[in-house]
Amino acid sequence: MYWKYCVGRILNGIVIYAILIFIFSTLFNATMEQTLTARIEEEVRAEMMSLDTRMTPEEVNRYIIERRADKYRLYRLEKPTWKRIIWRATNALTFNFGRATIIRSSAGETDVWTIISECIPRTILLFTTAIFINIILGLWLGLKKAQRAGGLMDKTTSIGTMIVYGMPSWWLGMIMIMFFVYTVKIFPSGGLHSMPPPVGWAYYIDLLHHMALPVLTLVVIGFWGGAFLIRNIVLGILQEDYIMAARARGFPERKVLYGHAMRTAAPPIVTMALLSLLASVGGNIIFEGIFSWPGLGNLYWIAIEQNDVPVLMGNLSITTALYIGGLVLLDLIYGFLDPRIKVGGRR
Amino acid sequence: MKWIDIKTGLQEFWKELKEVKFGIAGLILLFIFILIVFINPYIVPFPEGSSRWRDIGYWVDNPRSVPPIWVNWFSSLKYAPSLAVHDYSISEEQIGGMKVKEVVFSYNYSYDIPPTDIIFHCHYQGSPVIVFSMERPDNEVIELIKKPLPLSEGEKIRVAIGRASKIEAYNFGSKFDREDDRISRDMVVPTKIFFSEAKVGIFRNPIPLKGVYKVTAMIILPGEDDRVEDAHISFLGSVSGLLGTDNSRRDIWSGIAAGVKWALIIGSLTALISVSVGVIYGVTSAYLGGWQDALMQRIFEIFISVPLLPLLIVMSAVFKPNIWALILMMCIFFWVGPVKTVRSIGLQIKEETFIEASRAFGASGSRIIFKHMVPLLIPYAFAMMALYIPGAILYEATISLLGLGDATIVTWGQILHDAMTGGAVLQGMWWWVVPPGLSIALVGMTFAFIGFAMDKILHPKLRTR
Repeated sequence: MYWKYCVGRILNGIVIYAILIFIFSTLFNATMEQTLTARIEEEVRAEMMSLDTRMTPEEVNRYIIERRADKYRLYRLEKPTWKRIIWRATNALTFNFGRATIIRSSAGETDVWTIISECIPRTILLFTTAIFINIILGLWLGLKKAQRAGGLMDKTTSIGTMIVYGMPSWWLGMIMIMFFVYTVKIFPSGGLHSMPPPVGWAYYIDLLHHMALPVLTLVVIGFWGGAFLIRNIVLGILQEDYIMAARARGFPERKVLYGHAMRTAAPPIVTMALLSLLASVGGNIIFEGIFSWPGLGNLYWIAIEQNDVPVLMGNLSITTALYIGGLVLLDLIYGFLDPRIKVGGRR
Repeated sequence: MKWIDIKTGLQEFWKELKEVKFGIAGLILLFIFILIVFINPYIVPFPEGSSRWRDIGYWVDNPRSVPPIWVNWFSSLKYAPSLAVHDYSISEEQIGGMKVKEVVFSYNYSYDIPPTDIIFHCHYQGSPVIVFSMERPDNEVIELIKKPLPLSEGEKIRVAIGRASKIEAYNFGSKFDREDDRISRDMVVPTKIFFSEAKVGIFRNPIPLKGVYKVTAMIILPGEDDRVEDAHISFLGSVSGLLGTDNSRRDIWSGIAAGVKWALIIGSLTALISVSVGVIYGVTSAYLGGWQDALMQRIFEIFISVPLLPLLIVMSAVFKPNIWALILMMCIFFWVGPVKTVRSIGLQIKEETFIEASRAFGASGSRIIFKHMVPLLIPYAFAMMALYIPGAILYEATISLLGLGDATIVTWGQILHDAMTGGAVLQGMWWWVVPPGLSIALVGMTFAFIGFAMDKILHPKLRTR
C-alpha cells in the first residue's frame, strides 16, 4: 500500500528530526545558555539605568537580584540541566528559536524564525534552478556518452568529471567573480537585486541578471558529475535483454534510447537530481556567501561573523529539517516511480 | 588471508591498473605530492614558512601584495624583482672628532615597474646617525631620511628607506611637476618617484629612468667604540617568488607547499578511519541480521539524515576544534557513506557456502566477519577511500574559508580565507586566489583518478557496452 508506506516514511522522518534536534540541544546547550545569561545581564543593566534615582544602594541591589531571578525563571535557567535541554529541544521543534542578538530581518525584526524563513525561498530558488539546468545538460551529454561508451567524447568528458571532482564550488565562484565582474564587466558582483530594486518586469530581469553568475558557476562544476552518473545508469540499462530485443526488432536507435531505455532510467535519474539538491544543502551551501546571495548559506557566514548564536542554531535546525524533508520526499517519489514499493513488496 | 594472497592480489591489481591510463596519471600525481611533502625544505625559499606562517617578523623582508616573478615573461612592462646588494664601496673621514663613514651601494635599474621599497640592514653598536641619499643616473641627488639609531650593543636594525621618505619624494617630485598635477602627499609611492624621469608628469604618468643608481648611507659615529657592521641593502621587488606574496608579505608558494602535507594528512586520515568503520559496520550489520541489524540500520539512518557541512560549521564555531578534533568530527559523520553498499554486498557474501562451512566448524561471529567477510571487501574499501579523500579536504577547506580553521597550521582553505578577507578578489590578485584553490582541485583530481580507476576495475560492466 503506497499511502501506508508514505505515512510510515513521514513519521520516520519526524522521529529522526526530533532525535537530531534533541542531540543538537544537548551538544550546544552550554553555548546557548552562555548567550542567554549575557543577554539577561544586559537587560537587567538597561532596566537599572532607567530606575528611579532616589533608591538606596541596597534597594538597587535587591532589585537587580529580583529581576535577574525573574528572568532566569522566564528562561528556565533555574531548572536542572536535563529539563532545560528538553525545553530547548521542544522550542526548536516548534520553530521557536528566540530572538537574534545582532542580525535583523529585512523588516528589522529580531525573531530568528522570521529571519530564516526569509532566506529559505532564495536558497531553494538558486539551487533548484542550477540543478534543473544541470540535469538537462547532463541528460544530453550523458546519453551521448552512453551511446558511444569508450569513445573519444566519453573519455574526455569522463576526465572532465574527475577534474572537477574535488574542486571547491566557492573557489570557482571567486574566480568567476574575478573574471566576469571585475575583468569583463558583465555581471553584478553579488546580492539578490540592485539597490534600490526595480519594480514590475524589470525586477525579474534584474533578479535573473544577479542569479546568472552563481547559477553558471554551479552548472560549470555540477553537470559533469550529472552526465557521468546518467551515462552509467543508461549504460547499465542498455545492456539489458529487452533493449537488445528492441534493437533486433529493428527499432531506430532514437526510439530505443528515448522510448525504452529512458523509461527505465527515469526513477534513478529523478533520485539523482534530488540527491544532488540535497548534497547542495549538505555540502555546498556556503557557496552563497561568495556571491552574497542572501540565502541560508549566507546566513551562516553572517551569523559566524557577528557571533549570533541563536541565528546559528536556528539555521542549523531549519537546514536539518529541509534536509530530512528532502530525504523523505526522495523516498516517496522513488516509491511512487518504483512499482515494487507501491504494491508493498520488499525494497 | 595470508601474505602470499595479498601479494598475488596486489600483482593482479597492478596488472589491471596499468591498463587504465588515468589511474597511472593519478598515481604519478600522488607520488609528486608526496615528494613535495618530503623535499619541502629544499624547494621553498622560506623553509620555516609552515611553522611561522603567522609570525609577521619572519616575512618582513618580502614585498607586500606583488605578483610572481614569471609575469615578466608575459608582460610587456618589466617588473623589478627583489634584489639584495651586499657589495659596497666605503670611505671614511674625521669631521670635528666624529667618525663619518660613507657606504655606497650601486643598483642597476633596467625595469619599467620600480621596486616597492628599499631596506637598509646592519648590525651596530652605540648610537650612530645614518643619513641616506640617492644619486640617480641623471645626476640628480635626492636627500632621503635621516635616521638616528637608538643606543644598542651590536643589535640588528632594518630601516625602510623607501616607505619612510614620503616627504622627500614629494618634495623632489614637486620640483619638476606642474602644481595642479600633484597628488596628495599620503598617496605618494616614494620608489615610483625615485625611479622615474625628472620631468612633468612624474606624479601621475611617471616614465621609468633606467641606469645605475647609487644609494649612499652616510653613517655618523659619535662615540669612540661605535661601529656599524654587516651593512647591506635590499630592494623589495614589484614581483617576488614563484607565486607572489599576499598582503602580509607572506610568500604564497611556501604556504602552498606547506599545505600539501596537511591536505594529505586530513584527507587520508579521515578517509582511512571512516571507510574502515563504515565497512566493518556494514558487514557486521549484514552478518548479525535480525533485530541487531534493524537497530544498526536505525542508528545509520539518524547519521545519514544530518546535513554534514552545516553541522560541522556550527560545531567548529562553537567548540573551536584543532585540526585533529576536526578530523575526528568529520570521521563521526563520514563513516555512513559506504554502509549501504557494504551491507548489501555483505548480505550476498553471508549466503556463500564457505561462510556456512566455517560456521559449521564453530567459528565465532567476529572471526567470520574479520577473517572471511571484510577481506573480500578490501578492494572496494580502497576505491571508496580514494574517493572520500577529496571530500574531506574540501570540508576542511570550507571550514577554514569561514575562518574557523586551526590557526596553528597552514592549509589551503586558510590561505583562501585570508585572500577573501584581504580583498584579493576585488583587487584582482589572482596569484593569491588561484593557486590554493587549484591545489585543492588538483589533489581532488589525483584521488578521483585513482578512485575511478579502481572503480572501473571493480565494475568491468561499465567499461564499454
